[in-house]
Amino acid sequence: MKKINIKLTVNGEQHEMAVAPAERLVDVLRDRLGLTGTKEGCGEGECGACTINMNGQAVLSCLILAVQADGATILTIEGLQNGINLHPLQTAFLSESAVQCGYCTPGMIMAGHALIEQDRNPDETKVKTCLANNLCRCTGYEQPVKAVLKAAREMRRETDA
Amino acid sequence: MPDSYTVVGKSFQRIDGVDKVTGAARYATDLKFDKMLFAGLLRSPHAHAKVIHIDTSAAEKLPGVKAVATIFDVPKIIQYWFFLRTEKKKKEIFLRDNIVRFIGDPVLAIAATSKDTLKKALSLVKVDYEPLKAIHDPHTALKETEVSIHKKGNIAFKVNKEFGDIQEGFKSADIIVENTYHTSKQKHASLEPIGSCVASFETNGKLTVYSSSQLPHWTQHYLAEALELPLNKVRVIKPYTGGAFGGRCGVIHGLEVMCGYLSKKTLRPVKMCFNREEDFSATESRHPMTIRMKTGATREGVITANEVDILSDTGGYGTHYIGVIADCMSTGIGLYKIQNYSFSGTVVYTNKSLCGAFRGYGNPQMNFAQESQFDIIARELDMDPMVLRLKNYRKKGEMDPVLNERILSNGLEECLEKGARSCGWEKKRLRHPGNDHIKKGIGLSIMLHGTGAARALPDPGSATIMMNSDGTANLHTAAADEGQGNRTVLAQVAAEVLGIEFEDISVSETDTDIVPLDCGTHGSRQAYCGGLSVRDAAMDARKKILAHAKRYLGVEQSQLMIKNGRIFEKINPENHISIKDLMQKIQIQDMGVCEQIIGTASGIAPAMPGYYGAVFAEVEVNTQTGEVKVIKMTSAYDVGKAISPENVRGQIVGGGVMGIGFALTEGLQYKNGHCLNPSFTDYRLLRSCDAPKVEPIIVESNEPTGPLGAKGIGEGSMVNVASAISNAINHAIGVRLTELCITPEDILQKLKEKMA
Repeated sequence: MKKINIKLTVNGEQHEMAVAPAERLVDVLRDRLGLTGTKEGCGEGECGACTINMNGQAVLSCLILAVQADGATILTIEGLQNGINLHPLQTAFLSESAVQCGYCTPGMIMAGHALIEQDRNPDETKVKTCLANNLCRCTGYEQPVKAVLKAAREMRRETDA
Repeated sequence: MPDSYTVVGKSFQRIDGVDKVTGAARYATDLKFDKMLFAGLLRSPHAHAKVIHIDTSAAEKLPGVKAVATIFDVPKIIQYWFFLRTEKKKKEIFLRDNIVRFIGDPVLAIAATSKDTLKKALSLVKVDYEPLKAIHDPHTALKETEVSIHKKGNIAFKVNKEFGDIQEGFKSADIIVENTYHTSKQKHASLEPIGSCVASFETNGKLTVYSSSQLPHWTQHYLAEALELPLNKVRVIKPYTGGAFGGRCGVIHGLEVMCGYLSKKTLRPVKMCFNREEDFSATESRHPMTIRMKTGATREGVITANEVDILSDTGGYGTHYIGVIADCMSTGIGLYKIQNYSFSGTVVYTNKSLCGAFRGYGNPQMNFAQESQFDIIARELDMDPMVLRLKNYRKKGEMDPVLNERILSNGLEECLEKGARSCGWEKKRLRHPGNDHIKKGIGLSIMLHGTGAARALPDPGSATIMMNSDGTANLHTAAADEGQGNRTVLAQVAAEVLGIEFEDISVSETDTDIVPLDCGTHGSRQAYCGGLSVRDAAMDARKKILAHAKRYLGVEQSQLMIKNGRIFEKINPENHISIKDLMQKIQIQDMGVCEQIIGTASGIAPAMPGYYGAVFAEVEVNTQTGEVKVIKMTSAYDVGKAISPENVRGQIVGGGVMGIGFALTEGLQYKNGHCLNPSFTDYRLLRSCDAPKVEPIIVESNEPTGPLGAKGIGEGSMVNVASAISNAINHAIGVRLTELCITPEDILQKLKEKMA
């Protein structure tokens, strides 16, 4: 089958590649670029483990074809930290004990990231609604919700300072 | 032992935390090796059939297909109950013969150079089946004589036990309550699908398997047996694991054996990962049960008799069916001192996906029935359900007749008191449910769950601590961490006993080449059994450290103490040496010594202490739509000693929400052998917008046999949630739900019956 050339900017790096028409974005990230922090939990857009940010929006990378992402700017969990300094969301997930098995964590953090980038002051309902796309079987959700709220507070402080 | 802890009882950032929030954590699904092949299974479309012929010729001709293994040529997979390997208990399962026993039962595996080739190759295989009559219902399985799912028939196991005299017990009762309860086929639904591994057999004769097993040493043992390799040639490494909850306690469809076999054939690494549909429809689930229970009580609220009759459906194969039904018995009898108790359990095969271990291990099913019965009795006697529990529960100092063990710690009364106070039980219990269509209710239930399996199975535990010459230490343990955080907890135990900082402990990979024998993570055992091994290994290292310190400080070992990285004389703390300095001296500086300090411990836990809990659930029931909303849960658990309070709270809240799913939304549905809901669209887990506030309360009864007083928590936190919710629904609308999960349709139906 004929391959299609695409360009992607992933975590600040530019990539050009030839992909098959049916190749999914999650496979490009995981298999071609080695960015396995993005997880696949169901492959049908129900669990949210593969959530990434594409052009600033939280999207499910298992439901997007690589060709649809041509020209897009993509952020995955690996691109969130600044050197060895963790992003406030990553710090908050640790300090609020929002991490257990960790399989849903990258997707949760990326969902939270898109939200906070759009709204520095989300209330609890808004955070709960945002994370409703991300299944978690370990924590019972209370701590991830708290972590996103805490990170938003932290980022407001950074913006104000 | 220090009397005031410096590390234990405090919460530290989990040691795997940074890896998990940065995406650096590698799970089995993430692993990739040079020349790696992709393997997959062809699964039966029939619920029950004989495989007559398999034609793989077209698949084998496809470029990129490197190996095919059918049920006729793969090695037999032997199940031995953990490490029990007597001939009597040895049972062959999976791929054992030419019969498929449920839709999804594997028929063959193919290894190919790419996922696409694999998919194509699987579609080219032709299998001739002779369909057999299938049994879908456990009650039919009991009666059916023409169709046998297994050679020995459809009954997998039977148990009958009587304590006291059940007839006498009913004679002395003033009221007798009898009901039949049904529970659902709940799925673990861990976010990483169950079934992911990479096997790599090399020319030097060594097999390395990366598997997300809960029991790495057990996996190593059955791989060695099936592939006829000595144990030193089988290495099992457990990478990060995306949740387990008992689902990785089974043989997982012989996944590792299949990959090992294919790798041995091709001398290339072979990876197999089940997708979500395979996870739902073809890996182990919770045993659905029908429980008939007849309970007698006096007017004063003394339970005089309980007669229990359980039919458990293990599906096409059995792995943990004996242990699960045995735990129904031990948890039911262990919780209450009912003098006359009759327990009868039957496990049958049906042509559905197999059942196995799942958080609670039979207890959630049993608890739903028994705690509903207690609630009914309390209401009939017009007694506070909490008072009825307090009158009948088995207290500290009493004997557990099933485990034949004396109860050395029991904080149940404190759980009930603290929980009741926190949620306002007294007031809410007497509150009117309200006059509009939203009715409010509150319900409670209690539970007991055993820690570990010392009384039931060979359940080895071991740990090794190696001191470094700068005073830090490396802990080697096979305590598989599936996400609950036991590696962090065990590092705390090691640091506490050694008298060094938490940050000074690093915990090894879970790799059978470097960690000593351990039964793995099951039965809420790691804080207790793992903790005991680590405590004793640390004590061993500590003793050796102090023996050397004696030479430098000039006083007897008994006069020395280690705290905060310093070794000092108890009565003269000025006389001291830091562990760092001492380790440097004895390990690398002093030419006359050069001793690496290694502490080790191994053995079986001295007991399997029960841990206890009380859940208070508050619900709102919409009588127009039948919808049940859990508003709040207050969950108090006696964990002996919370080594890491934050981890304990994580277990209580997470288990609580999983329990709500068991009560209200979860369960695999089957029709004519077909699983109707093998996806997250149709199998409904709670989401962040559904989960209520769970108030965790930690009670510490200080278990004398436990490491620093600890016992379990992991499974118990979901055990008594469904019963508490059902009891709350009864309080709200006056009807009794006896089937899980409780759906809006069930509620409306019951309300209709009540009106009629």
